[in-house]
Amino acid sequence: MNKPTSDFINRELSWLEFNQRVLDEALDTSIPLLERMMFLAITALNMDEFFMVRVGGLQLLQEQKVVSKDPSGMTATEQLEAIKTRTHQMVEEQYRCFLDDLEPALSEAGLKRVRAEEMTDYQVKYVQNYFEDEIYSVLTPMSIMKKEDFPLLANQSLNICVQLSPDDKKPESEEEPQPRFAIIPLANSVSRIITLPTEGGYQYILLEDLISFMINHFFPGQKIIESVPFRITRNADIKLQEDQASDLLAEMQILLDARKISSCVRLEISDSVTTKTKAFLKNILEIKENRIYPMPGPLHLGDFMSLKNLSGFEKLKYESWPPQQSPQIDPSKSMFDLISEGDLFLFHPYQSYEPVVRMIEEAANDPDVLAIKQTLYRTSSDSPIVQALIQAAENGIAVTVIVELKARFDEARNINWAKNMEQSGVQVIYGVKRFKTHAKICAIIRREPQGIQRYVHFGTGNYNEKTAGLYSDASLFTCKEEFGLDASTFFNTITGYSDPQKFKKIDMAPISLRKNILDLIQGEIERKRQGQKAFIKAKLNSLVDPKIIKAFYKASQLGVKIKLNIRGICCLKPGIKGLSDNITVTSIIDRYLEHSRIIYFHHGGEELVYISSADWMPRNLDRRVELLVPVEDQEIKQLMIKILDTYFEDTLKVQILQPDGTYERAKLAKNEKPVQSQLKLYREFSQMAKIAKKSRRGVFETYQANPDT
Amino acid sequence: MNAKPRSDSSIPSLGGEVKLVAVIDVGSTSIRLSIAEMDQDGTIRNRDRLSQAVNLGKDTFTVGEIRKSTIEDCVQILKKYRRVLDEYQIENLDQIRVVATSAVREAINKLDFLDRIYSATRFEIDPIDEAEVNRITYLGIQEFLKSNDTVSNRHSLIVEVGGGSTELLYVDKRDVIEAHSYRLGSIRLWETFEASGASEEHFREILETQIRRILSQMTQLVIPGDKMNLIAMGGDIRFAASQIGIKNNKNEPSIIQTSKLDRFINKIIGRSVDQIVQKFQLSYPDAESIVPSLLAYYMIAKEYNIEEILVAEVNMRDGLQKELLLEHGWTEDFKKQVIRSAMALGKKFAFEKSHAKYVAQKSLQIFEALQDEHQLSSRYALLLYVSAILHEIGHFVGSGSHHKHSMYLINNSEIFGLSKKDLMIVALTARYHRRATPKPGHPGYSSLDRESRIAVSKLSAILRLADSLDRSYSQRIETIDCHLDNDKLIISIPNVNDISLEQLALRQRGQLFEQIFGLKVLLRKKRSLGEMNQ
Repeated sequence: MNKPTSDFINRELSWLEFNQRVLDEALDTSIPLLERMMFLAITALNMDEFFMVRVGGLQLLQEQKVVSKDPSGMTATEQLEAIKTRTHQMVEEQYRCFLDDLEPALSEAGLKRVRAEEMTDYQVKYVQNYFEDEIYSVLTPMSIMKKEDFPLLANQSLNICVQLSPDDKKPESEEEPQPRFAIIPLANSVSRIITLPTEGGYQYILLEDLISFMINHFFPGQKIIESVPFRITRNADIKLQEDQASDLLAEMQILLDARKISSCVRLEISDSVTTKTKAFLKNILEIKENRIYPMPGPLHLGDFMSLKNLSGFEKLKYESWPPQQSPQIDPSKSMFDLISEGDLFLFHPYQSYEPVVRMIEEAANDPDVLAIKQTLYRTSSDSPIVQALIQAAENGIAVTVIVELKARFDEARNINWAKNMEQSGVQVIYGVKRFKTHAKICAIIRREPQGIQRYVHFGTGNYNEKTAGLYSDASLFTCKEEFGLDASTFFNTITGYSDPQKFKKIDMAPISLRKNILDLIQGEIERKRQGQKAFIKAKLNSLVDPKIIKAFYKASQLGVKIKLNIRGICCLKPGIKGLSDNITVTSIIDRYLEHSRIIYFHHGGEELVYISSADWMPRNLDRRVELLVPVEDQEIKQLMIKILDTYFEDTLKVQILQPDGTYERAKLAKNEKPVQSQLKLYREFSQMAKIAKKSRRGVFETYQANPDT
Repeated sequence: MNAKPRSDSSIPSLGGEVKLVAVIDVGSTSIRLSIAEMDQDGTIRNRDRLSQAVNLGKDTFTVGEIRKSTIEDCVQILKKYRRVLDEYQIENLDQIRVVATSAVREAINKLDFLDRIYSATRFEIDPIDEAEVNRITYLGIQEFLKSNDTVSNRHSLIVEVGGGSTELLYVDKRDVIEAHSYRLGSIRLWETFEASGASEEHFREILETQIRRILSQMTQLVIPGDKMNLIAMGGDIRFAASQIGIKNNKNEPSIIQTSKLDRFINKIIGRSVDQIVQKFQLSYPDAESIVPSLLAYYMIAKEYNIEEILVAEVNMRDGLQKELLLEHGWTEDFKKQVIRSAMALGKKFAFEKSHAKYVAQKSLQIFEALQDEHQLSSRYALLLYVSAILHEIGHFVGSGSHHKHSMYLINNSEIFGLSKKDLMIVALTARYHRRATPKPGHPGYSSLDRESRIAVSKLSAILRLADSLDRSYSQRIETIDCHLDNDKLIISIPNVNDISLEQLALRQRGQLFEQIFGLKVLLRKKRSLGEMNQ
């Protein structure tokens, strides 16, 4: 799949392999049906983003006739060609999974998609009413006579193209009568999945099927040849003109508008489409044939994600793994007291995210707290963290929030909650010029009898309690002085209050993060040279950065053992003789999205462990504000090493990267019991919680008079 | 600030016990803010440090004044710093000190600058003079000298090359022998080169010529000898230490080998400022100052045959913090240094040491006895002490108006730790130890602010009393006892039979005292117990 001469795997193709691994989960019959549907929906949503951002960018390069090559030695045209082939193959597999596998099985389980022709009389009556009440007044068909009539269609929205038979009122014309076309954009306000009345189980019809069924109501007295759903994807890789933008908020709005009208990178259309309708769309959208994707089933499989929310189908879902309380966290003590006793570590979602929220909530109502500073990336107005920050500001605490407006597809939502916070007196800083703030850090400055004390939370995931239940992420709390100072330095730097100052403990991209990683790799190399034991383990989402990959190759060549667990893109080629014999790369896709970044260096037995917000991609290391945080507490360090090792023990959900860029499942020996790392972690954290609970119950607690009252 | 003020009920229940202070240093290449507090055990802890690059030095050292745009840059930075202070709830004047060094001090539009900053940010910038910088530097480096055994066994040359000036302290163990400030600064050097219009290849040559000129002045003050430490302070040398320094032990200072420094300078001297910014992540003003400043350190090290430069992780802000946290930082140790320096000056002008010391001690005693009357801080006690030591050095010039000569000599000397204003107070106090009493038209006196003028009157009145007590120049009145009795200050003198000489002197010189304090002075023989029983 790559030119064999290059030492790198192409990042786009590596990404497609990642999506394939997600698709593999959708195909895995040992997983509950609705979860499989969820994985399938994720592959479709992933693909949407991929086209919008990556393919859009490559097409621009191609159009601008840029012939430079990526590290794997491919030009934009070559990459697009390879992507197309791989994507078509994947689309085919997605629909095979949906149509031949999931739908029949779900139908059997009582969850059925009904085609228009399959409806009972009662259901027909119902949908006729539904159409009149809910749809007819909302949707507006637009007749297209010339190109200029064509409406501006929203990116990735669903539309219906209607072909009407030629107008036969003009017999004098000698030309062959041309068909007429109309477009019905399907508004977001109308549900895609429409529940049908049924006697047992759950039945639904898709909006586009319902509309096709009732299409005559829009065009009374006319002959309709076909009505076919289609969907366009626009290029979202439009750069923010930040240097000229004095007002980022306004500029962001312009960007969002620009994205609505940018060029079309993909047209998805039902494969039942007639040549005439296809030609019409192709012409009017000015899209090349090779950007058209005929789909053998319903478009936008991402919408089927919502099926998982149906109640009554619990058997089709994973059994619940409730988040556990950390034994370190005594619910009767304040977070500040707990952190003062020693650093705290949490591993989500096995362990509850509640302490993180609790810390901010306690801070908001604490008269000794002077200031709260934190980064926020993807969140919403109803988030308890946002609420707590608003509360804090209203209580007179100086709250500074660095909101990243460049978070790709959430911009529209981001703007709103950011405005809400501003109105309550929170100082909202809309990102750092030229850099996207990806670091996850919250610092609370508190005045205590012995002086100023800072409580800092470092994370690998966004401050979003919802995703914290689905993503595997690490949380580290500390009030150690040097980390507190570093946190302050960090905020002073990114809020523009100070030029960058030297950090004591942490490293920050784009300043020193990559350099420190390279130094640490070099450190292992030096130790190996001196005959010491040397190895590196890391768990990341992506590894793309050529400088780091080259350092790994060098380390491997000198005999440093390197184990990498990389969920997504990996451009490093493992296991190549003389280049990377000592490197293995595995990837885990399971019920929780692997998201934490944990890095380990043997360092002559000292064992350095870090958590980080950064993936090792050039864009993260050069154009994003990221953090690399050392873990110093010995107990926490050992626990993290244990967690990291658990991922490398996995034989069930793991796929192993091959030298050619493909992935293979682990081979189990006969009678070998497979290891599922996420299950193992769940059991271990449950066990820890149970033991802690027991030991706590052993002591009779007495009621004590509150010394404060 | 967006945050709303707290209501009274939510005033922090704890805190207030630890004093939090903020120090802002408006330097020639950057404005730095540092926030600190003192632990229960007396160690000072830094809580925050901010820095932003400015072009103050560039402006002042080229066009002589600070450009409008630079003033506004400073306003923006200081507004942000004000917000940081608000966040820490640092509001009281005794928690904040804002100082400016040569770039502001020497600017023609200094007053415009100070006024603009004050009206926009409420920060009152104190443009401190060279002696004050020396004093503060010493305060900052004290701990360093105390805690490093290797340092304290030898003489040390302490040098900080700033943007506009170079501070030099020469200490024997911990005692200051010399302190001086030179107009040698990295920005000045850079601008000299720019102004010369010479090509890049002459860069080093031009800098070296400039540095050598100052070096010749330095070696006159401190003669190169054996076994001397060179302790370097300042951002540029700390940067060099981070690149090429060695640290034997976590708690020990970084060491830079002089030869290594030379190599490092050679490595970066050919690079453009842009390349330096890129490579080392420095600000533009810092990138411009780095080569001239390192070259100055290097040449000083060479001149004094020093192979290893010790880099102290301290700066002027450490001294300023200490001063704020220790209530002006006039520690006993520091006072000792000031007095030493004054004694050295007295010696230079052949003072009568025993008389000087006697008058100084008696002045201090009277000063303390009158604390409730004059209400002056202990800082003035030190100034009084120093003027008592030096009050008669004018004899070196001539006896006629020796008090005026004393004033002139003091005013044109350097006493370690005393600012120009302090020196003026000392000089005037010495001047008024005899003859005319302070008059608004007297030179020097009229230039002082009201508080200082009143202080001069009070101090010179006391000095006159003390001086009268040694009219005999024999220190025969060993001890005195002062106490207040209604409108009288009674000075009792035990074990002396005849005090008529002193009483006469007092009648001649005591008027000023009466006038200022509203107290009559009575000189009494204190009877011994035996006499009382008779």
